Amino acid sequence: MEWSRNVAGAIPWVTTAARLVLGIVLIVAGVPKFRDQIQSVTAVKAYQLLPDSAATMVGHALPVVEIVVGVLLVLGLLTRVAGVIGGLLMAAFVFGIAWAWANGLRIDCGCFGGGGQLAAGQEPTYLVDILRDFGLALCAAWTVRFAPGRLALDGALGLTGGSGGSEGEG
Amino acid sequence: MGKAGREKSVRERIKEQQQAARAAEKRRRMLTYAAVGVVALAAIGGGWFYTYSQSRSEQPAAGPLAPITVQPDGSVAMAKQGVAKPVIDVYEDFQCPGCQQFEELSGPTLKNLAFEGKAKVVYHPITIFGQEPLKSNSVRAAAALRCVPGGEPWMRLHDKLFQEQPREGDVGFQMADLVAWGKEAGVTAPGFEQCVTSQQHAQAHLAYSGKTMKEAAIEGTPTVKLDGQALEGEQLSPVGLRQAVEDAAK
Repeated sequence: MEWSRNVAGAIPWVTTAARLVLGIVLIVAGVPKFRDQIQSVTAVKAYQLLPDSAATMVGHALPVVEIVVGVLLVLGLLTRVAGVIGGLLMAAFVFGIAWAWANGLRIDCGCFGGGGQLAAGQEPTYLVDILRDFGLALCAAWTVRFAPGRLALDGALGLTGGSGGSEGEG
Repeated sequence: MGKAGREKSVRERIKEQQQAARAAEKRRRMLTYAAVGVVALAAIGGGWFYTYSQSRSEQPAAGPLAPITVQPDGSVAMAKQGVAKPVIDVYEDFQCPGCQQFEELSGPTLKNLAFEGKAKVVYHPITIFGQEPLKSNSVRAAAALRCVPGGEPWMRLHDKLFQEQPREGDVGFQMADLVAWGKEAGVTAPGFEQCVTSQQHAQAHLAYSGKTMKEAAIEGTPTVKLDGQALEGEQLSPVGLRQAVEDAAK
């Protein structure tokens, strides 16, 4: 009994950790892309997945979406919606990298800025990139399931039904 | 009304009040939720608009380009007579997607800055790729451009090469295309075709490329330097580039 109550008590903290990890990674990845639009657009084009005009649009929009969703996750605001978007982004990234790999493209994932081009002598790191993004997708799934966790503005603003996520929310 | 009836109505009234309170609480929650959602969407929209406006290409100036001259070392300068600084050095590879993107967005700004006499632009076409077919594509294109003695045809072929950049991994920049694009660009030099197809300047280009990368410490393309200082990130956008040049002139 004691044990299961401890586990139940830990869940909101795990949620907090999951959304902080996902949120911070999104912000860290978004800022350099936001500052260097040319690289951001080039990186999207390097995947050769989208027609040029769509790739340009995604290249411009993606960093902004990453940063805003990242901030929402860190604050614990609209946690569930932000978690869903974050999870969809990660799923898209996993798909994109797998696509590049399967098609024999030799590119940098452009995940944290960079123009999608490998410098001379560099090898692609697709597997590492995919595992990382898959792990982040799991963080997103957990966040959505057990939103919003501790230290979340959602809780403080009473946006979650339960008070502060402590009342058996989810 | 009997006692029982009064109690019932009191209970009902309390119930109604509780319901009203719950409804108000629900409304407040929905309003808060909507407000936060609107702010988040506005932030996304605002950020997107900002990046869009920063990276919107300039309209080409109404008038001829500033004079374009091949310099003795193999680089190509575009500047109005008498304009010697600030100098914008552009190191680019015709096979490099980032360079294509930079040219597409900020190429017009470079031309306008030269046209306005605000800067001297120096192009350094180099070959940064080591693996095939990227390397050969790049060399063929750069060697062909060296067959153009300068002037507006040089720039038109330069721009065309970026527009026609082969997809990564494809063999492109075929001889016949290079010759045709050169003629389209207005190249009239009699030996042009022969110069392109024999790749007359391939060795000179590779030598220049290696030397330039070493001397200018080029680690990637595009590298754009303003008076020797590499520009970064937002400074490569049309708005950022113009801003950097105008700040340098102060």
